[in-house]
Amino acid sequence: MFADELKALRRLGFRHVLLQILNFASVLASGLMIWKGLGLITNTESPIVVVLSGSMEPAFYRGDLLFLTNPPNQRYEIGDITVYKVPGADIPIVHRVLETRDLVSNNKGMVAASPLAQEQLLLTKGDNNHIDDIELYQGLEWLERRHIIGKVRGFLPYVGYVTIAMNDFPQFKYALLGGLGLLALIQRE
Amino acid sequence: MAPKSRKAANGSANPSGSTSGEKSPSKQAQVEGETAVLVDAATTHPGLNLAPSAMAREEVKVNNASATDMKHACDDALKRFLSRPELFKQIHTHTDVRLALGWASVLVSAGTGFYGYKVEFEKSKPVIWAGLILYILLTVAQALYAYFVEGDVVFVGKRKTFDKRIVTERITVSSKTIPSTPSAPCPSYALSLSYVRSASGGKTLLGKGRAGAERPHNAFFDAQGVMDQEGFERWVGGIVGRVMQGPSE
Repeated sequence: MFADELKALRRLGFRHVLLQILNFASVLASGLMIWKGLGLITNTESPIVVVLSGSMEPAFYRGDLLFLTNPPNQRYEIGDITVYKVPGADIPIVHRVLETRDLVSNNKGMVAASPLAQEQLLLTKGDNNHIDDIELYQGLEWLERRHIIGKVRGFLPYVGYVTIAMNDFPQFKYALLGGLGLLALIQRE
Repeated sequence: MAPKSRKAANGSANPSGSTSGEKSPSKQAQVEGETAVLVDAATTHPGLNLAPSAMAREEVKVNNASATDMKHACDDALKRFLSRPELFKQIHTHTDVRLALGWASVLVSAGTGFYGYKVEFEKSKPVIWAGLILYILLTVAQALYAYFVEGDVVFVGKRKTFDKRIVTERITVSSKTIPSTPSAPCPSYALSLSYVRSASGGKTLLGKGRAGAERPHNAFFDAQGVMDQEGFERWVGGIVGRVMQGPSE
């Protein structure tokens, strides 16, 4: 099937093969760098996430794509939709902030005046759940700022199903990657 | 071997399959003209053999609707022709710089990705910033190099001969596709060569030459997309011979 292309590759020599592999590798590298750059700009480790459960219906359904930012200088208010990861659990959860509390630090008898100086504690609950998330916190009573991955700024419906499909059927992911690789190796710019 | 060279020979006598009748007389004259240049060049430059190689070659078949495919096929045939041992030795500097910059940027991004995977987010931020900026610099450098320094260059070759003194010759070949216009419906392959001949390590300039030519693609590719390599090599040999003669002593 690819006899012509293989013959052409053999004829063109080692440098050419290196160039073609470089084509493929640089597509992957630029994708990775765009992802990392986006994460740095939005100050979150995962700027785009997919909703897996129905606990935020009717706002977000399973398969929606969410865009997150994590502004370091702003407080999280009641009503913000946050994505958080409890240490010990491996999947992040998308729920709304129900209560906030400040952990006031008493430094030599003085309290800092700025509202941002205090550590913020949060309690969340999914819109579609009857009870708040205390049971999901794995022993914690409140979520701290450092557990929060980010705040939802926007969303795209249905697009996340591609990621869900690739996670549930890994063959699909490898087939896609293999197809991309073949295309990059054979095509010349 | 025989069937393939028969196909090439057929192609050279009759490259544009259908309109054979009226083309052959002028084509024959063209072939004769080109061979005359080759003979001339061979006398002034010792050991130079610009005639198409007699050995059998693999058939080259491309999609003749795609101008980029045809240009790449012509470029490859050109490189194969000029890299023959009795002609030029290819200098790979442009390719090597592109490979070095490209692979460096890939390795930087792989390292940054791996570091970000191992170390948790807040602590890894400075290193990831550094990696990202380095990657952007390398990618921009590669793009600028390819656009400004490399440009259209397809082949850079060097040749050393011993003729009372060591003579170094350097040839740079660039090519591009001239798109089709309403008056010329077939896109053309435009070749431009620049040639320098010097002695004693490049300090004495013996001769310089520039030449350019273009041919529509249907001179080299038939209706099935098979390339007439012999005719192409003869054409290229003619231009190279002409530029090597050039205004020189």
